[in-house]
Amino acid sequence: MGAQETEQTFTNRFLEMLKQLWQKNSVIVVFVIIILLAGLAAPRFLQPNNLLNILRNTSIIGVIALGMTFVIIGGGIDLSSGPVLASAGAVLIFLQRMVAETGDPLLPLWLPILAALGVATLLGFINGFIITKAALPPFIVTLAVGIIARSVVMYFTRGATIMGNRVPEFTGIGNGSVASIPIPFIIAMGLFALLHLVLTRSKMGTYVYAVGGNEDAARYSGIKADRIKIFTYMLVGLCAGIAATIEMSRMAAVSGTSSGRLYEFEAITAVIIGGTTLSGGKGRLVGTIVGFILLGIVNNMMIMLNISPYLSGAVKGGVILFAVLIQRRER
Amino acid sequence: MSKLLEMKGISKSFYGVEVLHSVDLSLDRGDILALCGENGAGKSTLMKILAGIHEQNAGDVILKDEVVPPSAGPLEMEKRGVSMIHQELNLLNQLTVAQNIFLCREPRNKLGLIDYPKMNEESEKLMKRLGENIDPKQKLKTLKIAQKQMVEIAKAISFNVEILVMDEPTAVLTSKETTILFDLIRKLSSEGIAVIYISHRLKEVSQVCKTVQVLRDGYDIATREVAEVTEKDIASLMVGREVTESTAGEFSGDPDDVVLEVRGVTDEKLKNVGFSVRRGEILGFSGLVGAGRTELMEVIFGMRTPETGEVLLEGKPVTIKSAIDAIKSDVGFVTEDRKETGLVLCRDLTENLNYVYWRKHKGFFKNKKVSAENTDKMIKRLNIRCQGPDQQVKTLSGGNQQKVALAKWLASGAKILILDEPTRGVDVGARQEIYKIINELVDTGITIVIVSSDLPEVLSICERIIVMHEGRVTGELTSTEATEAKVMHYATDV
Repeated sequence: MGAQETEQTFTNRFLEMLKQLWQKNSVIVVFVIIILLAGLAAPRFLQPNNLLNILRNTSIIGVIALGMTFVIIGGGIDLSSGPVLASAGAVLIFLQRMVAETGDPLLPLWLPILAALGVATLLGFINGFIITKAALPPFIVTLAVGIIARSVVMYFTRGATIMGNRVPEFTGIGNGSVASIPIPFIIAMGLFALLHLVLTRSKMGTYVYAVGGNEDAARYSGIKADRIKIFTYMLVGLCAGIAATIEMSRMAAVSGTSSGRLYEFEAITAVIIGGTTLSGGKGRLVGTIVGFILLGIVNNMMIMLNISPYLSGAVKGGVILFAVLIQRRER
Repeated sequence: MSKLLEMKGISKSFYGVEVLHSVDLSLDRGDILALCGENGAGKSTLMKILAGIHEQNAGDVILKDEVVPPSAGPLEMEKRGVSMIHQELNLLNQLTVAQNIFLCREPRNKLGLIDYPKMNEESEKLMKRLGENIDPKQKLKTLKIAQKQMVEIAKAISFNVEILVMDEPTAVLTSKETTILFDLIRKLSSEGIAVIYISHRLKEVSQVCKTVQVLRDGYDIATREVAEVTEKDIASLMVGREVTESTAGEFSGDPDDVVLEVRGVTDEKLKNVGFSVRRGEILGFSGLVGAGRTELMEVIFGMRTPETGEVLLEGKPVTIKSAIDAIKSDVGFVTEDRKETGLVLCRDLTENLNYVYWRKHKGFFKNKKVSAENTDKMIKRLNIRCQGPDQQVKTLSGGNQQKVALAKWLASGAKILILDEPTRGVDVGARQEIYKIINELVDTGITIVIVSSDLPEVLSICERIIVMHEGRVTGELTSTEATEAKVMHYATDV
């Protein structure tokens, strides 16, 4: 009898452990299952080259999604990331394509990149400033700023694709690898490490959660909620600027109409899949990492399995619903 | 004779923790039963099971000799004659009174559209039955809070109610409104409706209820006839120990050691308000709702900018323009609504207890060790009952949430603490604990300013009482002078 009891408690404990594992990491569990399923459906999927390619392709969305996580935890949303990427990209390409009479680039590469990051961060600041000082809903403000930014880019590019200067030091950012790991993914991971530290260890990160959870209570605790919110919008702007740098360097070209198109929704999708709630106050960057890689896998599988690209929206929409559904059951 | 309601052996667990342990409850027609217990005793949970909001893990609910399936939801229970009025009003401000009463079950005309004339007529009948004169076409937001409560009751009785559960119905009412409510309860009872009345205010229990049932920590402790017990008896049943009412003494510190002084504060709500408070003193602000007490405290805390007036700390004029200025001047403010302005409910104890501490101290990173120490210290010092420092504040009971709202200021080392309605929605046991904490704090030289609408509370703990009426200071009393009558005299400014 004693042995039976021990066995039972052991099984119970094991089940309890599995349950806890699931509750805390359901996104990761689903992630592993999807990778296995994908491997079964298309064995080519698991080839290292394909996997690395997925990481390279998805890192641009990933970088934006990291910043977006801060905004959403802080109770906001940014619908302007795509246009901000295009704006920063345009600035980058316009400056980078200028050549001296000798045919060499006129400006050292870091200068156009810095300008692009600056413009993106500035646009983020404009978003945050209007949202906090005019007390307007982030949804409206970022939508409007996005539309304006996109329109200005189209004006300056006259709707055409503008080619940059295809020098290896530039194209290497988006297309190169270090120890066969794609540089865009290295950038995304480096940014993740830094932002994870900020979000979990710094006071600022905690205040982002507090402002998203209860802005008034945060204010009464002495937290400058407006500053925190502006910071999150500047951060997602900066992230869009970094994403722009990667995106531009891959093609060495910018297009007013298609650069960064709908990237904001892809990024928001990644954040939601990662378990960050749109109501604010809760979320993790690790989830976002899983979220954007999962999106990359979905995109990749669509190609592998020869599914019409027109159906990609249907699949992604399904993934969002599924992700939100399993997270709902945890609560 | 069979009972109207019997609940037998009701047990309920949340997240594997049993919060109700085999509780029984029975009710006849026309009964008025008080359900008493500290916060977290399981009263609300038991009632939510009755109202179909929660499903019990064990036990039966038997209504008129019929076992109700545990899966019956709130709508099903309302059809069976059980209505519950929750602590927070569940009404929609943008709709009319009638629309609120008939929400989701509006009468229809032949075309299948809402029959507004009928709806308004029915609502008027309900209001008449309650003896209230509220226009059903009025938007809810134009009503006073007591009137809103009447609408809530009208809504509840419109379901051919047989059992009416009221969770802390008087928390927001003035004493006059409370009297009206009690008359109504008695009227409903004479019509054969059974009322279950949840309240922390034992005085009310003895005024209106016939029987009282006490829960403690999820256990069914006792059921008594109200006529046979005193308030003190009920209180000791609730806490399981004797409750001793503290009575305030006179301020014994240095009368010239003024730490906070306010002069001539004037804005749209305040008229030339001034006062001073001395180190280690417990100063109370009494008055009716809307007297401007909270607004005055917001001025001191920098959340409100007055047109004129100044604030002096330790005799020196200071400009406090935001909460952070106040925090740096060692002023703390426990707001009257902990859910709205006091706590970030979806975050854990550690964060909530350390926000102010972190704001006050320099540095980019949180010091994990210090934060954890702060948290442990506060949990111990204020006896906060929790599962651990990483428990979500949302899942704490009201009294323990209030302790967290207070503790975050202590953790930051505030020297002047403003407490706005510090025991609102807090049970007797936690209330006594908070009074004890306040008394310990002043012994360490901390100055306490209390805003409270609870007169016995002000009289029992404040060494000096300032009374306000419509934005003005109308009276000041020391604890030896103060009586309930005198305070009310100033508060109504008659």
